[in-house]
Amino acid sequence: MRVPAESLELPVHGFIEAAGGMRLGNDPVQPRDAVLGEGRIQLEYAKEWEKGPKVFVKADFLGDAATEALRGDLREGYVDYSPVPNVELRLGRQILTWGTGDFLFINDVFPKDYISFFIGRQPQYLKLPSDAAKVSLFLAPLALDLVAIPSFTPDNVLTGERLSFFDGLSNRIRGEDAGLILTKPKHIPANTEIAGRLSSQVGSIELALYGFKGFFKSPLGVQDPVRRELFYPELAVYGGSFRGPALGGIGNLEVGYYDSLEDRAGTDPLMENSSVKYLLGYERQLWGDFTLGGQYYVEQMLQFNRFEASRSAGGAHRDEFRHLLTLRLTQLLWNQTLELSLFVFYSPSDEDYYARPAVSYKVTDQLTAVLGANLFGGRRASTAFGQLDRNDNVYLRFTYGF
Amino acid sequence: MKMRTVVLVVATCVSLLPFAPLAGAQTLSAEEIIRRSHLAEYYPGDDMKARILMRLVSKDGKERIREMTMLRKDLQEGGEQRYFIYFHRPPDVREMTFMVWKYPQKNADRWLFIPALKLVRRIAADDKRSSFVGSDFSYEDISGRNVEEDTHRLLREEAMGGKDAYVIESIPKDAGGSDLGRKVSWIDKRTLLPLKEEYFDKRGDLSKAFSADELKEIQGFWTITRRTMRDVQRGHRTEATFQEVRYNLGLPEALFSERYLRNPPPEVVR
Repeated sequence: MRVPAESLELPVHGFIEAAGGMRLGNDPVQPRDAVLGEGRIQLEYAKEWEKGPKVFVKADFLGDAATEALRGDLREGYVDYSPVPNVELRLGRQILTWGTGDFLFINDVFPKDYISFFIGRQPQYLKLPSDAAKVSLFLAPLALDLVAIPSFTPDNVLTGERLSFFDGLSNRIRGEDAGLILTKPKHIPANTEIAGRLSSQVGSIELALYGFKGFFKSPLGVQDPVRRELFYPELAVYGGSFRGPALGGIGNLEVGYYDSLEDRAGTDPLMENSSVKYLLGYERQLWGDFTLGGQYYVEQMLQFNRFEASRSAGGAHRDEFRHLLTLRLTQLLWNQTLELSLFVFYSPSDEDYYARPAVSYKVTDQLTAVLGANLFGGRRASTAFGQLDRNDNVYLRFTYGF
Repeated sequence: MKMRTVVLVVATCVSLLPFAPLAGAQTLSAEEIIRRSHLAEYYPGDDMKARILMRLVSKDGKERIREMTMLRKDLQEGGEQRYFIYFHRPPDVREMTFMVWKYPQKNADRWLFIPALKLVRRIAADDKRSSFVGSDFSYEDISGRNVEEDTHRLLREEAMGGKDAYVIESIPKDAGGSDLGRKVSWIDKRTLLPLKEEYFDKRGDLSKAFSADELKEIQGFWTITRRTMRDVQRGHRTEATFQEVRYNLGLPEALFSERYLRNPPPEVVR
């Protein structure tokens, strides 16, 4: 073999990336046509002691032309330690993920960066890290994960920067002038968020139960409509999931009950009601290196009558049931160096859609080029994807890994 | 007492079978040869660890490298198996882990852990039609094809690279189940490992060709330490080298679980 195994073993790994993205049309409320323009370097370092702790650090450094800023971003920085064989601890900044959805999250209540998702950054940036302590207990056939998150991290949601959005307070599409004030929960011990998962595998089937007590990650409560101040109401989530082989492919089922603790009666029009979320998914390979995936997702608002009764005359319309379908098509070609993919969200109840076509080519083992687009549309400006109608964009990324 | 002796003798004979192929050579059916070859290739030892280096070479000589550590554990000889693969490079798959629970009679269960997302994905892949990490090897080439899926016929016996070999033709019983029309294998009489395989598509054209380029005896198990799969029609080939091969490490079954998929132990990573 010409390439010895050790020759490329570096102590530090990561990538260098250049990414640019342009709005496809003109948006009257956005000053710039560029939605993405950044140079990024990601470095990671791991150190492990024999039978001892492991330290892992991953950090990004980026220059952002779209916001004209230079910044550093600690993506992960944690210590792993196993005090006894069946217990693992992870302390520090970490990415937390669980649940069975594909770009749809029910029991994964950990923070997301939807802006990154909508402007064409790598999929890994959809997940935001949490500063947390995680304990995992393994008592075969059960595994229990418990997470405590003392400092709240919200989702990065639409507030007008880069992308225009529907502002429910002024009932219209706004851009950078939106001037929303987002108030995070106080950083006090009582506001520590707790999440847990009890999981097991029975043969080929994976089962899990989930629980969460904390806050909505999106600002779904209005503190003061005049000052345009939003906040993150208290939330508890209880749910379960199933994943296993079905009909020659993989099937999954997930349910979650969102208990809006500060508005259980559903009478407060300024706060999100409780809801139940359902997800059914299926993925199957149809031919060589071609995979088809589909999901059906439903959000049922509870106490819908009270929401309707308390909704102000000009308030945005919402349905009791929000139906959402997703489709994923992936074709790999040329020894899996070329990937053609399409992911589509379509809601028959909101009558809106979001399509993510992409072509990715591995020029070499180190260099990947991705050309993709984010296309939004809908009948009404107030729906999840309809509000993004003017934000259609194309992006190009070059990533060199080492 | 006498009963126990009989059991012992039978057990010893059974366990020696793969190493004494010539003893009953005259009476071996083609199916029996393939069955023993399958055991020799995919089931040596109770478990195994190897560092695998794959070189993917395109028609115009462009090279790509896949390097991984593979662990295998057999739950039953010829039966259920567990695989664990940790990728070292290229950079875009580095530190990804891949776990397979393989069953003789049904589709394997596969999980992939993507470290950047801390996400465990379940992979819906067809053993027969999916390329393994973009190489010319399919999943089936890596972990074996169920012997009962084909009808086997001994064509002849001949020397192949200075070794006596059985030449066996295998035809899928379910023609719609794969793109394969038939396969011809040259099975080494001594080690029962395949020395060469030719895959023909449904039109009868040669599509893929396998060759065992280096055989080594490791801890008493003959092992193909260097192999090549050529996609004849596209002029692409993959050379795989198995390094640091160890058998019977006593790998625990619990290693092949989501816990270690998310957090592979140091002995896997190195």
